[in-house]
This record gives sequence, C-alpha cells and structure tokens, in this order.
Amino acid sequence: MTQLLLFNVTNGLIIGAFYVLMAIGLSLILNLSNVINFAHGGFLVVGGYIAYTLEPYLGFWGALIVSPFLTALIGLAVEKVLISRVYGRDPLYSLLLTFGLAFILEDGTRVIWGANGKPFTIPAVLAQPLSNQFFFITGYRLFMVVIVAVMIVLLFMLLRYTRIGIRIRAGTLDLETVAALGVNVGALRSLNFAVGIFLAGLSGVLAGGQLGLEPTMGAGLLMPSFIAIIVGGVGSLTGTLVGGLLIGVASGVTAVYFPAASEAVMYVLMAVVLLVRPRGLFGEEGMLT
Amino acid sequence: MTKRFDFGAVDRRTIIKAGAVAGLTQIAAPFVWSARAADAIKVGMVDPFTGVYAAVAQNERIGVEYAVEQINAKGGVLGRPIELLVEDSANDVGTGVQKTRKLIERDGIQFLIGDVNSGIALAIAQVANEKKVLHIVSGGHTDGITGIDCHWNVYRVCNTTKMEANSVASLLFFKYGKKWHFITPDYAFGHTLQEAAQADLQKFGGTVTGNELTPLGTTDFSAYLIKARAADPDVLLVLPQGLDMVNCLKQIAQFGIDKQIHVAGLQQELESLEAMPPEARVGIWMFEWYWKQPGVPGVEKFVADIRKRSGGKVPTARTWFGYTSMMTYALVANQAKTLDGVKLAKALGDFELPDEVKLQPNKCYYRAGDHQLMTSAFVGQALTKPAGDPEDLFQVDQVVPGDKTSPPESETGCNLVWPS
Repeated sequence: MTQLLLFNVTNGLIIGAFYVLMAIGLSLILNLSNVINFAHGGFLVVGGYIAYTLEPYLGFWGALIVSPFLTALIGLAVEKVLISRVYGRDPLYSLLLTFGLAFILEDGTRVIWGANGKPFTIPAVLAQPLSNQFFFITGYRLFMVVIVAVMIVLLFMLLRYTRIGIRIRAGTLDLETVAALGVNVGALRSLNFAVGIFLAGLSGVLAGGQLGLEPTMGAGLLMPSFIAIIVGGVGSLTGTLVGGLLIGVASGVTAVYFPAASEAVMYVLMAVVLLVRPRGLFGEEGMLT
Repeated sequence: MTKRFDFGAVDRRTIIKAGAVAGLTQIAAPFVWSARAADAIKVGMVDPFTGVYAAVAQNERIGVEYAVEQINAKGGVLGRPIELLVEDSANDVGTGVQKTRKLIERDGIQFLIGDVNSGIALAIAQVANEKKVLHIVSGGHTDGITGIDCHWNVYRVCNTTKMEANSVASLLFFKYGKKWHFITPDYAFGHTLQEAAQADLQKFGGTVTGNELTPLGTTDFSAYLIKARAADPDVLLVLPQGLDMVNCLKQIAQFGIDKQIHVAGLQQELESLEAMPPEARVGIWMFEWYWKQPGVPGVEKFVADIRKRSGGKVPTARTWFGYTSMMTYALVANQAKTLDGVKLAKALGDFELPDEVKLQPNKCYYRAGDHQLMTSAFVGQALTKPAGDPEDLFQVDQVVPGDKTSPPESETGCNLVWPS
C-alpha cells in the first residue's frame, strides 16, 4: 500500500506539472488583463491540431516547436480583434466573450478537422516506460515534466530580468500608473496574451501525445487549471505553480482510496482554501476585487 | 488607456447592426420554408452533434440521410416523401427533451430517431410515449430502454449492454484467463455493462480483482492503471467509450501494460480505433456492425454509397444504426399501410429486416416482447496494422446472432403497456 501511495504521489506530481503549464498561461492573462479566458482550452485544442497537421511535414519535434508559435499568432489576432475591445469593462463582458469564443474554437476545430479524434503519434523512444517497476514514468511523461520546468524557468526569468517582464509585473499590480509612465499598455497586453496562448498551444501539443486529440478535449483540462489558480492565489504565478502540483497530487492520491472522488477532491480543496484563506495560498489580499 | 462607459446606450451603430441582422433573417427565412414540401412525412432526429459524442452522432446522421434519399427515390412512404428534421441534443438531457417536444408539438413529426446518450434516449422515449409517437433508439445502449423502462412505442436498433457482455465474455474467459479487472465509466451505461460482464464471469467460475470507477471525461487514467496492475489480473477490461477509451488505451500502450496483462473490452467502435495510434489498437472486442463482410448481400453497395457521401470514409456501426432506424420506419409503414403510431408499433413486433437493410449474415428482427432488435455481434480483434484498407482496423472472428447473445424476453424486465 505504501508503494502504491508513493507511486501515486509521483504520478500526481507529473499530472500536476501539466496543469501548471496550462494554468500559468491562464494566470498571466488574468493577472494583467483581468480577463478570465474561458477559451484557453479551445486554444489548447487548436495547438494540438496544428501540431497534428504539421507532424507529417516537420516531424514531432518540428511540430512541437512551430505549433505553439502559430497558436500564439492566432491568439494575438483574436486579442486584437475581439478581446482588446472589452478591456476596462466589467469582467463579465470578457467572461461572456471568451465563453462564446470557446464554443467557436471547439466547433471550428470540428469543422476543419472533423468530429472524430485524430491519432497523434509521438516518437517511439518516448512512448515507453523507463523501468518495469515504475512503469507509469514513461519517457514522454518525463519529457513533459522537463518541458514544463524549462518553460517555467524561462517565464520567471522573462518576468524578472527583462524590461517587458518587469512591465508585465508592474502592470499586474497597478496598470494605471504603468500607463501614466508612458508604457504602451495595449501592446503590453497583446504580448502578454500571446505568451499565455503560446503556453496553451504548447500544452495542446503535449496533451495530444498522451490523450486523444478531439475537439472537446480542452474542456476537461480547463477546470483543473482554474482550480490551480484559485488554490494558489489569484495574481501569483508561484501560487499557480504550487496550486497545480497540489491538485495533481491530491487527485492522484484520492484515486487510490476513493476513485469516484478523484475529481471532486480538487473542488473540495478549492472550497477549503476559499473558506480558510480566500486569497489563496500565495495570493495577495485585495487583488482583483 | 481609455475606459468606455457607453455600453448601456443605444447608438447609431447598434441600430445599423440590428437592422442588418433583421435584413438577413428576411432573406434566410424563405429559403428554409421553401425546402419543406407540403405533403411530406416529417421525421425527427435528436442526437448529440456537439460534445463528446459528436463524431458518432454525425455518422448516425449520415446513415439516416442516406436512408431518406433511398426511400424518397423509391417513391417515399405511402407515396409521400420523407422530410428529415435534425436537432442537436448537445449531450444534455434537458436540451434533448426540449428539442423532442419542439419536434413533436411544433413540427408535427410522425417518427423519432435518437439518442446516442442512454440518459437522453430514456428521457426522450418518455416524451415520445406521452405523445404516442413511434420512436427508434438508434444508439443508446443502457438495458432499461428495452428492459424495465420499455414503452409500447419505443424500439431499439443497437445492442443492450447485456448482449454486448454475453457476446465476448466466454471467449475472453477461455482464451485470456479467469481473473478480471475492470475500468468502468461511472454512469448508467458503464455500470450495467460491468455488471453484465461480471455476472458472466462469475457464472464461468472466474473472479474479479477490482473495478475502477472512472468519472466520465477522465483524461488521466494512470492512477487507475497503477491500481489495476498492482492487482495482477489475467485480463484488464476497458469499458469507457469514446474519448475516454482512447485516452485509456493510449496510456495503457505507453505504460506497456498490454505486454503484461491481456487488454480487452466489450463494445468497440471504428470511430475510437481511428482516433488511436497503432500501438493502442489491441485486444478482443465486439463491434455491433462492421463494414467488411465479404459475400454478404448489399454490404458492398452500402459501403460504396456511404463512401461517396462521407469523403471516402467507410460506414461505421453508427452509420448502420441510423440507416436501419430510418429504413425500418419506411418498410413497416409501407407494409402496414398506415402512419398510426399504435398500429405501426404493433406491426413492428417480430418484424424481420430484409437483406438490403440488415447487412449481416444472421437473421435480424425486432423482438415483440421487449422491442429489441436481435442484431449480430461481430466479435474479433483490434488490428495494430490495418489489413489493406487504412480503415480496416478490426478482424472479425465470429458473427454471433442476436438471439444467442440476448437474454430471453422474460428476463429483460420489460412489461409493455399498450394504450387502450
């Protein structure tokens, strides 16, 4: 039983790492633009499908690199044309807009690639377990964790050491002052949105490798990401990171003892955090009110 | 950064936009109306064209549309053409019921087809019963539809979960071993399917090492697979359907579990196999209909015709469900020379399907006692490498007739109450 528990904790961390990648993108957009991006799952699916389309020409590795950039470009266009129009309005507007957008993206994928799932294949080297005993640690899952770690380090470095990053962080705290100091807030938000969607696209390619690629696949992955943000604390990327890992482990461990609650446990965790510490584990009081 | 506070006011642009929309509706509406022939018999179809079952629902629709075209080309039903009205249940019981009511009350349909989702199928059957409209459930498998929840006006084309379990259980037991572990989707369909398979297993003297109930829409099956492998069964039965099944089998293949434990299941569909990479296509399963049946009358023509309508894709069991549901109505109405729901429902009891509709070697008929179609089970193995045609992903080993897989009418729990 101890071994089973240990297996599931490790396994939960792997799953959590994936939630983190998706949630960080969501969190970036939410923090700077006050937009709750319900279409994030839709962009994830688009990223996966673009990779599927590119794979015959560029191979898995080529698709892995190119697809997130193309998804980010689509995201940028959507931001310019649609989302930028609701900035500064009641968050309900962006919520409704992205909610509708999620449906459009899902149906759009269905129209272009068909309703039936697509067999996205990953290189044979990655598609096998590393050892017989720890069979659930496959090359691919380990590769995913590495990618997530690299992306997080890059993102934190971008936010800490570059001018743009510092502006994004400053904007998260006080956008009006940043604007008053002469920063082009419109461009900053566009760029930030594109980075968020880039991460969604990357999540899509990675998800396509171990899940079935289907127009509806984004919906099931979106909720854990929201929960990760709420548990970790709105406004804090570190919080999102911890939140994602936490719900991954919680869900993995619950699956051992009470499988039916493996999904519900995430919501329970969220409810507990909201009751005991409404700002989330790492959130600052008063953010986004 | 400018803040805009004008969203409450109606300005010039809003009025122009509203005008444009109103104009478009004017142009669009007559088009819709003109497509409706005056004396047509209206048939309604309710299926989940959005959501997780969209792919299978779409295939059912292709089958129904093909049947309508065939029927109308041969003079329709009682000399009147069929007009098909399709509604999206969006995989939601409330929406399905609402759309069904709309089809019956506003559009005046004479016959209803649907739904893929068992829960919606049960609910709309209730509505159809209340309104006395003949209803064929094309693709919802839960036993109750032709069991304890049966109605005089409701027939079903696809198998019951009991039939599915009975068709594969003995083969799995004698070929793969007697310790079984289940991965079961946690809702009505999954529960009945698992119970049916477990009952068969216990009848043979086998044991269950565990049953993992997985919520619908599970993306990561690793926790369940860790438990399943720790239990060390002979056979791992994968019961989830659609995207859940694809996810589960993909992860089983990546973990290499199929190399240690026999992986199998009961119901398998071409839609799911096509969504999987080759290494995930493993195990013994049952198909409810398969497109490759050399020498069986009518199958080749059906496959060729459907390929023309679906961009070269072969028909799946779902296409056949849709086709058979629609053809059944035309056949029985033309034979009984009536559109009266009660008379048609009576006439369908023990109604046998002709070769060009059944498209399978065995006798295929609607049983009078529970209104279940006695259709064959195509038992065989999933193919890692396609056998010739890229869509030939299943090797059929035996075609078991429906009355061999189905429990007798007396055991289904169905008690039909006819209107006086």
